[in-house]
Amino acid sequence: MNVEAVIGLEIHVEMQTKSKMFSAAPVTYKSEPNTAVVPLDLGHPGTMPVVNRQAIINAIQVCHALHLNIDSQLWFDRKNYFYPDLPKGYQITQNARPIGSEGWIEVMVENQPFKIRIERLHVEEDTAMQHHYEGFTLVDYNRAGIPLMEIVTKPDIRNGAQAAAFVDAIRQIVSFLKVSSGKMEEGSLRCDVNISVRPVGTEKFGTKVEIKNLNSIANVQRAIDVEMLRQERSLIAGIPVQQETRRYDELKKETIMMRKKTDAVDYKYFTEPNLLPIDLSKDFIAGAISHSLPLATTKRSKYQTQFSLSEYDAIQLTQDVYVSEYFDRLTSIGNHYKLYANWLLGDIASFLNKQNLTMVEFPIQPQEMVGLISMIAKGDLSNKQAKELFELMIKNPTDPRQLAEKLNMLQISDEIYITQQVQEVLTANPQSIIDFQQGKDRAVGFLIGQIMKKTGGKVNPSLTNQILMKLLKSK
Amino acid sequence: MHWLDHSILEIHQALIQRQVTPLQLVEEALKRAKADEWNTFEKITEEIAIQQAKSLTTPEVNNLFWGIPFVMKDNFSTKGIETTAGSNILNGYVPLYDATVYDKLLKAKAILIGKTTLDELAMGGTGMTGHKGYQYNPFDSTKTRQIGGSSSGSAAAVSSGMVPFSLGSDTGDSVRKPASYAGLVGFKPTWGRISRFGLFPFAPSLDHVAYFTRSVEDAAILTNVLSGEDAMDATSANQALPVYQFSKSIKGKKIAVIQEVMDSIQNPLMIQRFQQTLEALKKAGAQVDFVHYPLSLLQAIYPTYMTISCAEATSNNANLDGLKFGPGYQGKTYQDVMMQARTEGFSELIKRRFVIGSYVLMKENQQDLFLRAQRVRRMMVEALDKIYQNYDVIYLPAAPTIAPKFTDSSDRLSSQYLIADSHLALGNFAGLPSVTIPIGFEQSMPFGGNVMGRAFEESTTLEIAYVIEQFTGLKNLSIQTRKQG
Repeated sequence: MNVEAVIGLEIHVEMQTKSKMFSAAPVTYKSEPNTAVVPLDLGHPGTMPVVNRQAIINAIQVCHALHLNIDSQLWFDRKNYFYPDLPKGYQITQNARPIGSEGWIEVMVENQPFKIRIERLHVEEDTAMQHHYEGFTLVDYNRAGIPLMEIVTKPDIRNGAQAAAFVDAIRQIVSFLKVSSGKMEEGSLRCDVNISVRPVGTEKFGTKVEIKNLNSIANVQRAIDVEMLRQERSLIAGIPVQQETRRYDELKKETIMMRKKTDAVDYKYFTEPNLLPIDLSKDFIAGAISHSLPLATTKRSKYQTQFSLSEYDAIQLTQDVYVSEYFDRLTSIGNHYKLYANWLLGDIASFLNKQNLTMVEFPIQPQEMVGLISMIAKGDLSNKQAKELFELMIKNPTDPRQLAEKLNMLQISDEIYITQQVQEVLTANPQSIIDFQQGKDRAVGFLIGQIMKKTGGKVNPSLTNQILMKLLKSK
Repeated sequence: MHWLDHSILEIHQALIQRQVTPLQLVEEALKRAKADEWNTFEKITEEIAIQQAKSLTTPEVNNLFWGIPFVMKDNFSTKGIETTAGSNILNGYVPLYDATVYDKLLKAKAILIGKTTLDELAMGGTGMTGHKGYQYNPFDSTKTRQIGGSSSGSAAAVSSGMVPFSLGSDTGDSVRKPASYAGLVGFKPTWGRISRFGLFPFAPSLDHVAYFTRSVEDAAILTNVLSGEDAMDATSANQALPVYQFSKSIKGKKIAVIQEVMDSIQNPLMIQRFQQTLEALKKAGAQVDFVHYPLSLLQAIYPTYMTISCAEATSNNANLDGLKFGPGYQGKTYQDVMMQARTEGFSELIKRRFVIGSYVLMKENQQDLFLRAQRVRRMMVEALDKIYQNYDVIYLPAAPTIAPKFTDSSDRLSSQYLIADSHLALGNFAGLPSVTIPIGFEQSMPFGGNVMGRAFEESTTLEIAYVIEQFTGLKNLSIQTRKQG
């Protein structure tokens, strides 16, 4: 029996707005527990929600990037249930009328374009964070009310690679639009997977299993692939798949049952009476879209066409929004595009990796980085010297030329000066000229060594070599 | 007659002419409050009141509320002052912030004397269901009659003469009905006119900040001090303040009386008195017509109100789960704590409403019950709109009876109950300005009429009520003035 998986994803994106979705409390991730709250976030009686305008602008921008239809009115509903992380006893969300509906995105899977339809995008508020301990639980309301976007795909995905490509595409979109940090590891991007299998050729869906609490894109892929296998084996063995919620165990590399899904909870949705429908005028929507920052895909094609970079470089430079922004700043100052790309993807990337830093924390200013790279391009610095200088600049960000001068690191590429030095060395070593003429190649090495010694190693080696050879041959 | 027994406008004149001081007013108000015989208070805020009164030494000529004592229903958030909304589940709850209306009155330097009783969580119309027990009607010396609710204590405080005005809330008729039973002006302006931020919600789509005064003009000036768009309440409206022209003539105004409501009232004396006020309105130049309103819609008011208000209430009060504030409940799991808090914290009546609310919102019932009620609500508003195409206001008896006795039980399927006792909720469904004013007495108990105007036409509504007040002479009515008068 040939079986296929039918997979739909629900992605929650936590927005990086200044204040929360419906309250004026700040959105922070590093504050002491329960300090980034106002009475509304704790569900105090009489408090009322006020819609965060920026969160709506963010949602519109993401809707646009995902080719979703944007509703002309903003409606909110209450989703009612009791839970300790839900201070009001209901979550304000969009049930009946999501801000975005019926869109799509194209992702690359194994170098082939793959289109995934998107059912909806809606805006809602996050819940509080629970910290479970032995015998008790603490609740941190700092997260309660942070704006969320939920993106729901159609069941178009068939395997882990496609799902991972989709999640990565969403990550890129929200991070390039600066709507969210988009980090699964930090929970600012969360992905729930709905997955079922069925014999190829059948229309009917199999029993759906939900996988929750995935903490990386790689694990989305792994979890789906092992769960597909599990369900497939089950199906072939004639054991019905149970409707349940599972999680992925990284060590065991398998999915583990968390709870059986009994009858679905009735959330008793109804329109939020404290928020009147808000008209989203065409102008407002157009304005929001026009203020969008460029997406990774836009930047990629610019890097290829305008800067003649390879597709590989362009893709690598647009994995992280801050890397691409750094690159943009370099290219706005200088024009050694390929060298900038090499440095960003090479020395800078490995430095950040080693130190476990992000691009934002990189200490060298673009202006200085351009200065350093220009000196290499001009031949003022050897690559080895450049790397040394780079290390020093990281510790002590400063103007690279001044630093090179101070450290006496600058290469001399002055032909007249080099010629003069070569002449003097030749005059002092007549035997070497004879050796050269008799075909003894090590004479050249010896002479270069003498010149370097005489000049303190500062002359440009390849230029020096050229001049020496010219003079030797003319003897 | 003590200055406290005058209208706000009169007291203001006395204050700026230094005939009386805020401290004298507050001391008298506190004296009367402490002598309360009607179970009016959740809390008397004596210390704060005295301190504030002492700080007010230079009268502010243009500030009508400078030094005026008042009370508030105990469902307005008051920073640092325990607020329970008449429910055990909020015992010991001390809010962290001030309601916008309280903030406005504090800024106007009005002086809070106390916080008053209410039907538990403002759900009820009898004044019998708060956690402090029955609220008595000061006009009834035998203490056998209700004052109505849910803004019970706020009505009692004004009608007993403790303060010249009080704040309440009105979701179905919770200010305007008690106003009729207590001989007061009870006004709720248009939904959105006044910020609800800090008002503990019962049913937000129907909830209004409303108030009791002893004159129509006082209701007008109070409206203007409380009104305005509020960044904290997204449903508050950006509208210019009303401008009033109170006059004995309302020439050209058109007044509609709904025939079907009149037909459902049985008390001949009350009908007769109401008709006298109609004659007075005609004399003042108004055109008065009897109009029709679909009977089926009138009969649907009560069930529609129960369906929508209970649905919203069950959700609004889901925050009261015992986890974050209120008395500490014990339990091994969060479910235990929530169960215990909500089992012990709410009275049976409240639980019944929550069950109704949950039931009508359930997936399988929502279409048939909650959404149908919403559709009926829209039909009711449209039927009102039709009347307002030709008329400035609708004028009706506020209630079909005087204040009921505690032992009375109403037949909830009678047309008097379904229609005449429920019609004030139309003002909540449509969010219209609606004012009850006293029009007469029966068995020594007051009763009122109600004028309801178009949205944001508070001025016309109150101008017409003013003419009725002029005719009846029932201004500054309280048991204090009644004894003397």
